[in-house]
Amino acid sequence: MKNNFLASILLILIMISTLAGCGEGAKIDPSDPVTLNLWHNYGGQLKETMDNMVDEFNESIGTEKGIIINVTSISGSATLHEKLTMAAHKDPGAPNLPDITTAYPKTALILADKGLLTDLNSQFSDQELSAYIPDFLEEGRINGDSLYVFPTAKSTEVLFVNTTLFNRFARDTGAKMEDLQSFEGIVRTASLYYEWTDQQTPDVANDGKMFYMPDSLFNFSLIACKQLGVKFINDGNFCFSSPQYKRIWECYYQSAVLGRFAVFDGYATDLAKTGDIVCSTGSTAGVSFFSPTVTYADNTSEPAELAILPYPVFEGSKKTAIQRGAGMCVIKSTPEKEYAAAVFLKWFTNPENNLRFVSSTGYLPVTEEAFGDIMSQEIDKVSDDSIKKLLQTARIMQQEYEFCIPPLFDGIDEMQKEYESQLREVTAASRASLNHISESDKNTAYKTMAPAAFDDFINQLSKI
Amino acid sequence: MKNIFNKQGQNLIKQLNASATCGISMNTRLFLLLIVLVVTIILGVIAILLITGTFTAGLDERETLFQNELLHTSDQISGQYGELSVQVIKFSEELSGNIEQKAQDLGISVSELAKHPDKLEKIISDQFDVTYLSLERFKCSGIFFILDATVNPTLYNSQNSKAGLYLKNMEPNIINSSHPNIIVLRGFPSLGRNNSLSLHTQWKMEFDVSNASYYHLPIQAARSNRELPLSRLYHWTPALSLPGTSEETMICSVPLIDSQGNVFGVCGLDISSMLFKLSYKPQTGDYSRLFYILAPHSGSAINLREAMVAGGYSSRIMSKSESPLTISQTKGAFYSYHQGENISFWGLHTPIHLYPEGSAFADKQWIAAILIPEEDIVLSITRLNVLLISLLLLLVVVGIIASLLISKRFLKPISKGLELIKSEDLREAPRTRIPEIDNLIEFLANRNEALYEGAKQKNLSFTLLDEFARNTETLSPSELSVYDLYAQGYTAKEIAETLCLSINTIKTHSKHIYAKLNITSRAELLLYVNLLEEIDKEV
Repeated sequence: MKNNFLASILLILIMISTLAGCGEGAKIDPSDPVTLNLWHNYGGQLKETMDNMVDEFNESIGTEKGIIINVTSISGSATLHEKLTMAAHKDPGAPNLPDITTAYPKTALILADKGLLTDLNSQFSDQELSAYIPDFLEEGRINGDSLYVFPTAKSTEVLFVNTTLFNRFARDTGAKMEDLQSFEGIVRTASLYYEWTDQQTPDVANDGKMFYMPDSLFNFSLIACKQLGVKFINDGNFCFSSPQYKRIWECYYQSAVLGRFAVFDGYATDLAKTGDIVCSTGSTAGVSFFSPTVTYADNTSEPAELAILPYPVFEGSKKTAIQRGAGMCVIKSTPEKEYAAAVFLKWFTNPENNLRFVSSTGYLPVTEEAFGDIMSQEIDKVSDDSIKKLLQTARIMQQEYEFCIPPLFDGIDEMQKEYESQLREVTAASRASLNHISESDKNTAYKTMAPAAFDDFINQLSKI
Repeated sequence: MKNIFNKQGQNLIKQLNASATCGISMNTRLFLLLIVLVVTIILGVIAILLITGTFTAGLDERETLFQNELLHTSDQISGQYGELSVQVIKFSEELSGNIEQKAQDLGISVSELAKHPDKLEKIISDQFDVTYLSLERFKCSGIFFILDATVNPTLYNSQNSKAGLYLKNMEPNIINSSHPNIIVLRGFPSLGRNNSLSLHTQWKMEFDVSNASYYHLPIQAARSNRELPLSRLYHWTPALSLPGTSEETMICSVPLIDSQGNVFGVCGLDISSMLFKLSYKPQTGDYSRLFYILAPHSGSAINLREAMVAGGYSSRIMSKSESPLTISQTKGAFYSYHQGENISFWGLHTPIHLYPEGSAFADKQWIAAILIPEEDIVLSITRLNVLLISLLLLLVVVGIIASLLISKRFLKPISKGLELIKSEDLREAPRTRIPEIDNLIEFLANRNEALYEGAKQKNLSFTLLDEFARNTETLSPSELSVYDLYAQGYTAKEIAETLCLSINTIKTHSKHIYAKLNITSRAELLLYVNLLEEIDKEV
């Protein structure tokens, strides 16, 4: 009888301690801190902001709760994707996976399929999740309802214009910034710019300069199709048969072949640094990659003013832009580490910190509160002019545009790479073949080669 | 539990008070005896722990651990930095020869580079492959060469603008990446575009060497020590950020010297803070805030702003402070490192020889140190000792409880035995299974029985005498006279003579007396009389 009583007391105590444990998450002893390795893609100018935020976390809530964030890799998003994929596949020489990493959904899909990611639904209450913009959360839900990519900072694409170059050109030619609101306007302005730059050096023929470059040809085509109301990908296959797609193809191909648009396997900011293009469409997060100066071939340089305009649309189409940006994934490990990672994510995305990060990086906030009135108030306080312009444009787009999420399925990564490389290849080949043809004959030659190039392009892509 | 002890304590006090008047109970005596034993054992254990130095063993163990870690890592650093120094010397020799040859092909000498800015792009582009391959081969995060010339000498501050090439490997720790993430930090943009390399976010076409020790120091050393070979002219900078960049690096640079001995630039490589961090991160899992530094050293201070740091601890927090880290010796092998008044580390350091004897920079001293925040090591030692003391206390408590229980349990059968002894029917009493007590009970039971039997016998005698005495009262006066004389020892004949009666009369009286007294002979009568006299009973 006495033994039964003692056993009951013991059982009750165990149950109480277990239930208490459920309520508070895994316990961490602040005097024996947990170290979380973090990989992120906030390099370059963003590095300092990220470093400062990590330091601040380590000094404040990290010290209080016994969590140390240790940054062990800062890579570009493409390199980070490669590293994570290598680590997930346990390739020889690959580093160990970190505890937290920034990742795009396509990367997270690979990791999730291997069962390497923590479902963050278990670390956040419904009330906590309700503070985040639902679309952003939705983008991070992979394989059903599991929240694998936590939204930390999002981005969309905008049009960056070097106004130092554009204004000089506009003064001479009457080109208007408003024309850059549509892709057709950009094509027209690019032609004008090519002619104008060609005329700057009368001694050298056909040396007109490029005007525009879409940072991602895949995103350019995807959004353009969305704007024009057709599908770009259906059931894992490209849809090239619509007249709308042909219009998109010609928009890029013709201008690129004729030297108006850039054909470049790299970021548009590279060409912008040397004044080789005037404008580009790319991620808002790319704003910090634009150099404040343009350096020319003779090492002279001049300050480059940047204008940031809403993403261009095809004339007569719906205002649509992409919603993108890496979130943060937590790698499966111990309950303590997963809990600690969630503490960091909550701190990193609380409206105050989220806006601080956003206001110095060009990303967009992820909570309803931060995107609302607080952001309007904070915009005025932002010291960086480019980011201030960017946030203002983002606010306009948030009100006027519809946003679409890139498709996500196994193999999308390869499809994207192949699409971009084939389009660049066929365009570069066509441009090379026109190089030795005089300017007056170029249009005729183009009309002859374009249909074959299009067919060739479709045939190449249909093989994958 | 506390109440139990209070209660026990109070009982003990009561018993001790009572013992002053009526002695100490057996229970208390046994309990105290056991406590004395327990305390003796605990004191013995403490003495052994003190003699063997267990209370300070944690610190000694950590000293050994840290010494081993430091030895291992400093060997690694010396080895890898030495290897990189050799590689960069070979790179310089190869590059110097190539550039001299290319310049000759273009009809100029390397000392005339500054006068021919139009040739620079060709000369630099020609070195792209060797530079790129060297970067892939070396375990470094960047590789560069700088020529003492600029593409546009007419620009403002052109004397500090130097042409060259700087390639960065953004992921040097990935050994077999199929596409090394190499980008152009400094150099002609055409080099990046022709070779499918991106320009670094903080790209510039030329190097700004206005405060570039990695450029000026090796050149000065080479110009003022013409007899020294390249192996005595390479220079390692402290951690620094190139102008306009955000990443800290340590740069090793060597002069570029043509076959005539003319110095026309430098080449070198860098180790980024991230590469250093990943290469030398401490392996001791017990201390998450343990870290290494490699820093220039002068006197008893370390400038953390110039140090490379590896470890989980956010070194940036301490390097934000302008004040250096001052070193002082502690009582043990550990050193104490203070930054201002509030930040303090414990650790060990050892010199690192980045330069060989006879080097132009041999006077530059470097140290590698392994450090940990003081509170972490104090806490870990305290935690160990608290654990030991807690275990000892637990042992004391267990000893007291065990003494209490043992003394009670040991005395319980004895008390029970004593209670049994008090019982009336010892023969029927249950056995205690303690032979001594059971024997005692047996003995007492037998003795009681003997006493009982004796008393019983005694009681029977008294009954006969009483009856005899009562029967004497039934005797007639004449019979009583005869009886008295019998009692005085007279014989029947003497009685007849004394009472002047015939012998027959006496015999008749005797018959009646015997019948009334329920006896059969004069001898029996005399026995009764004697017995009655013994108990002082008169008839």
